[in-house]
Amino acid sequence: MTDYTLLYILFAPFVGAIALIFVSNRQAMLVRGIAAGSAFVSLIASLYLFYAYDHVKGGFQFIQKFEWSRQLGISLHLGVDGIGTPLVLASGILLFAGIFVSWHIKDRTKEFYIWLLILAAATIGVFMSLDLFFLFFFYEMSVIPMYLLLGMWGSHTKKYNEMTDPEGLKQRDSVGFIFNFGANSKEYAAMKLVLFLSAFAVAALMGILLIYKFAGLNTFDILVLREQAKLMNIPVLGTTLDKIIWILIFFGFASIAPLWPLHSWSPVGHAAAPAATSMLHAGVLMKLGHFSIIRVAFEILPETTRELMPIAAVLCMFSIVYGGFVAFFAKDTKYVIGYSSSSHMGYVFLGMAALDYISLTGAVMYMFAHAMATGMLFAMAGWVYDQTHTRDIPSLGGLSNRMPFISGCFVIACMASIGVPGTVNFIAEVMIIVGSWNKYPLQVIVAVVGIVLTLAYLFKMMRGLFYGPMDQKYSHAHDAVAVTDRLPLLIMITVSVGFFFFPMHLYNVVRSGVDPLIAKIIRVVPISSLEPDTSDVKREATSQSPRPETLLLTNTASPTRGFE
Amino acid sequence: MTFALTISPSDLLLLLPEILLTFWLCLILIIDFSFPRLRNEQLAYFSIAGLVATLGCLVWFDVADITGALFGNMFVLDGMALFFKIFIVGSTILVVLASIDFIHRFKFFRGEFYFLVVMSALGMMFMASANDLLSVFVALEFSTLGLYVLVSYLRDDMASNEAGVKFFILGIFAAALLAYGISLVYGETGKLVFSDMTSAQATPGLAIGFLLIFAALGFKIGAVPFHSWIPDTYHGSPTPVTAFLSIAPKGAAFAILLRMFFVSLATFKPVWILLLVATSVLSMTYGNIVAIAQKNMKRLLAYSGIAQIGNVLIGLATGTKMGSDAMLFYLLTYLFANLGAFAVVIAVSEAIGSDEIDDYSGLGRRSPFLAFSMLIFLLSLAGVPPLAGFIGKLYIFVAAVKEGLYLLITVGLINVVISMYYYLIVVKKMYVTEPHDRSPLKVSGSMKAVVYVCLAGTLAIGIYPQPVTDWVVSAVMMFSHLADPTASLPVPPAVVPFGG
Repeated sequence: MTDYTLLYILFAPFVGAIALIFVSNRQAMLVRGIAAGSAFVSLIASLYLFYAYDHVKGGFQFIQKFEWSRQLGISLHLGVDGIGTPLVLASGILLFAGIFVSWHIKDRTKEFYIWLLILAAATIGVFMSLDLFFLFFFYEMSVIPMYLLLGMWGSHTKKYNEMTDPEGLKQRDSVGFIFNFGANSKEYAAMKLVLFLSAFAVAALMGILLIYKFAGLNTFDILVLREQAKLMNIPVLGTTLDKIIWILIFFGFASIAPLWPLHSWSPVGHAAAPAATSMLHAGVLMKLGHFSIIRVAFEILPETTRELMPIAAVLCMFSIVYGGFVAFFAKDTKYVIGYSSSSHMGYVFLGMAALDYISLTGAVMYMFAHAMATGMLFAMAGWVYDQTHTRDIPSLGGLSNRMPFISGCFVIACMASIGVPGTVNFIAEVMIIVGSWNKYPLQVIVAVVGIVLTLAYLFKMMRGLFYGPMDQKYSHAHDAVAVTDRLPLLIMITVSVGFFFFPMHLYNVVRSGVDPLIAKIIRVVPISSLEPDTSDVKREATSQSPRPETLLLTNTASPTRGFE
Repeated sequence: MTFALTISPSDLLLLLPEILLTFWLCLILIIDFSFPRLRNEQLAYFSIAGLVATLGCLVWFDVADITGALFGNMFVLDGMALFFKIFIVGSTILVVLASIDFIHRFKFFRGEFYFLVVMSALGMMFMASANDLLSVFVALEFSTLGLYVLVSYLRDDMASNEAGVKFFILGIFAAALLAYGISLVYGETGKLVFSDMTSAQATPGLAIGFLLIFAALGFKIGAVPFHSWIPDTYHGSPTPVTAFLSIAPKGAAFAILLRMFFVSLATFKPVWILLLVATSVLSMTYGNIVAIAQKNMKRLLAYSGIAQIGNVLIGLATGTKMGSDAMLFYLLTYLFANLGAFAVVIAVSEAIGSDEIDDYSGLGRRSPFLAFSMLIFLLSLAGVPPLAGFIGKLYIFVAAVKEGLYLLITVGLINVVISMYYYLIVVKKMYVTEPHDRSPLKVSGSMKAVVYVCLAGTLAIGIYPQPVTDWVVSAVMMFSHLADPTASLPVPPAVVPFGG
C-alpha cells in the first residue's frame, strides 16, 4: 500500500484549489501558475497510472482504502480497473489543457480556476471510486461547480433577449417558462443543468439506497456488493426489485450521459459554458454517466443488465440520429459541437448495449477518444468566439487566413470527431460497429448513417468558419501564437493521433477491465439451471472471447493485492 | 407524589452547568445595572465567557461520562441531555457573538438583551434534561418567556411588534394545549415521568393527550401544520433572535420528542409513525414549495427551516437507534449551516441595511468572503457534497431506508431537488447578477468569527464525519434496544479480492 498515485491524481487539484484561495486575484500569473502546476501533477500521475497499470493482472489496482464512517459502512475506497484508467487519464489531460485554454480569462481568474479544479477533481474522483457512496459523492460534487462556471463566466446565446415566438412573446421552453428565465440565457442554462442532473441523480441515489438496504451487508463497497449482494428475484410492485433498482440507476446516470430523451440540458449547457468548462463537460463529465452505469449496474446487477440493456440499444438510435440532425441545422458553433457530442454518446451506449467484448472495449476507447476530439473542438470554438465575439456560423467565414494554426487544428479535430483513420476514434468506432453487428444490425446501420451525418455537419461548420469570404470586421482576429495557446491543442492532437499508431496498451488496459465484466454478464445463468460446463451461454461466451482462460488465471493469481 | 429531597453535594454536581449559568445570569444583570458606562460588546463578551465556562463544564461531563438523575427522575443527565445542552449552549454563544453588531439598533435595554438570551438558553437546557411532563411544561414556558420579549425587541418596528404578538398568542395557545395534554395523560396513566409510562394502555384519552403534547412541541419546532407563526415571526424579529429561534428551541424540543416517542410510546410505534410521516411529508413539501416564492432572505430561511425540520422528522419517524443518531447528526449540521447563513444575513444587513434577496445582487464582487460563506451554507442546507448537510441527509435517508420508509425517502429526495432551485436563485443573485453599487462591504471581527466557526463546522463534518458520528452514536446509547435488525452487522464482511 505504498503506491499513492491515485491520491496524487485526486487531491492535487483540490490542494491547488485550496492554495488559490490564499492568492490575490491581482497576481494573475501566480494564479495561473498554481492552477497549471496542480493540474500538471495530476496529469503526470495519471500518465504514470496509465503506464503502470498491469493489464496482464487486470482487476482493480492502486487500491487505497480508508475507513470513513463505521456506522454507515462507508470507506474512501479508491482503485482503478481497465475502464477507469483511461478515463482518469482523459480527465487529467483535459484539465491540464483546459487550464491553458482559459489562460486569457480576466474576470475573477482565481475563482474560475478554483471551480475548474474542483470540477475536474470531482470527475476524477468518480472514475476511481470503489464505494457507492463516494461515487455518488463525487458525482454530485461535480454538478455545483458547473452552475457557477456557467453562470459567472458563461456566455448567452446570440441575441437571446430578442428571440421571440410568432406571437411576439419571449421564446422560452417549458422549463424556462415556469421559472421565468429568458430563453438561452446562461442563467437558464445553468439552472436547467443543475436541476436536471440533480433530479436524476436523486433517482440514482434511491437506487443506491435500495441496493444498500436489500443487500443487507451494511456497506456501500462495490467490491463487496458485487460478490455478495443477493438482489435477484425479490418480487415488488408486480415486477422484481432488481429491475426497479436497475431502471433507477440506469436512467439516473444516463441523464448526464446524455441519453436521448434526457439530453435537453446538455447542448444548452455546453453552449453557455466557457471553453474550458465545455471541454471538461463534454470530454469527461458526460462519461460519468456511462462509467457509473458500468460500475454500478454492470458490476452489481449483471443478470438484470443482460435482461434490460436492450432499452439502451433502442434509445441510442434516437440519440445518434436526433443529435446528428439537430447539429446539422444548428447555426451556433457550440450548439453544433454540443449536439454532436450527445449524438456521439449514442455510440457508446450502442457499444455498451451489445454486451460484447469487442463492442464494450470499443465503447470505453471511444469515451477516451471522444474526450480528446470534442475537447479540441470546444477549445477552438472558444478561441474563435474570443476573437470574433460571435458563435453564429453564417456570419463567420474565411478565418483560415487570419488563424492558419487554428484552422489546421480544426481540420484534425473534425477528422478525429468523424473517426477518420489516423485518429484513435477510428479504432474505437470500428470496434463498436464490429462488436455490435451480430446483435444489433439495425443500430449499426443507424450508427453508420450517424457517421455520415457527423461528416456533413462538421464539414459544414468548418467551411462556415474558416473558408469562403471573410467579413472585414474580423480582420483584427489573430491566431494562436503563444506557446500557452498552442500547447493544449498540440497535446490533444498528439494523444489522439498517437493512440492510433500505438493503440495496443490502451486496448489491453481497457480489455483487461472489460473481460471479467462481460464474462460475468453473459455467463450468468439462473441458479436453477446452473451446471458447470454444459451451459450454452457459457460455451458461447468462451467461443466469443479470445482470452477468457488467461482471465481466469489472472483472477486467481493474486488474491492479496490491495487489501490490508 | 412526594419527593425525597435529600440532595447530596455530589447530586448537585449534575446541576453544575445550570447553577453556573444561573449565577452568571444574575451577574450579567448586576453588572449591567452597576456599570452604566459599560459598552455593549464588553457585556456581550462577559456573557460569552459564562457560556463558554458552561460549555466547558458540559464537555467535561460528556468526556468524563458523568450522568445521573435527580428529583425523582424529573431531571436526568444522560448522553442525549448532554448533547442537546452542548448544542444549545454552543448555538447561544454564536448567537450572542453575532448580535454584537446588531445591538445598536435597540434603543433601550441593550444589556437586558443578553440577559434574556442567556435566560432562554437556561430554560432550554432544562428542557433537554426534562424527563417528566411537569418539568417539560415548566422548562418550556421558562425558555419561551424570554423569547416572547426578544422577538419584539425592536420597539419602533411594527414588523417586530407584529411578530411578537403573533408569537405570543400562538405560543400561549400551544402552552394551553401542552397543559391540557399533560393533564389528560396524567389522568389516564397516573404517571408523569416518561420512563414510567412504557406500559400504558392505549385509550382515547391517552392518544388525545399525547397528540396535544405533540402539537405543542410541533409548534416549537415549526412543523407543518403548526408552522403558521414561523414566517412572520422570523421576518419581524431582530435577526440574531431569528437565528436563535431557528436553532436552539428546536433542538430542545427534539430532545423532549425523542424521550416521548422513543421511551414512553415505544410500544405504539405503528400508530405514531403515521402521524410523523404525515407531518414530515407536509413540512418538507410545504416548506420547500413556498420558499420558492420568497423575496426576503429571512423568510426564505424561515421556509427552508420548516423543510429542514421535515427532514429531521424522518429520523424521528424511523423509531430506531440509527434514526435518532441521524437526527442528532442532522441537527448539528443544520446548526452550523443555518446559523452561518443568518450570520451572513446579519452582516449584509448591517452593511447595506436590507434583507431582500434582490439586494444580494453582486455580493460576490462586493464581499467575496460573505458571498462564498453564504454559498457554502446554502449548499449545505441543500445537501451538496462535500458539505455537512449532504452527510446529514444521507444519514437520515439510510436510517429511513433500513426501516423501509420509502414514501418519506422519495418525498425527501424530490424535495432536495426543489430546494436546490431556490438556494441557487440566491447563489445566482450573489454571483451572476451585477451589483447596483460596487462598493465593498465591511465585516466586523465578531461577525467574521461566527462565520468562520460555522464554515469550519460545515466543512469539517462534511469531509470527515467520523468523530461527530461517534459522538452522536454514544450520546443516544439509551435507545440501543431499538436497534434495527441489520445493525447487528457492525463490520462489513471480508472483501473478496478483485476479479470475477
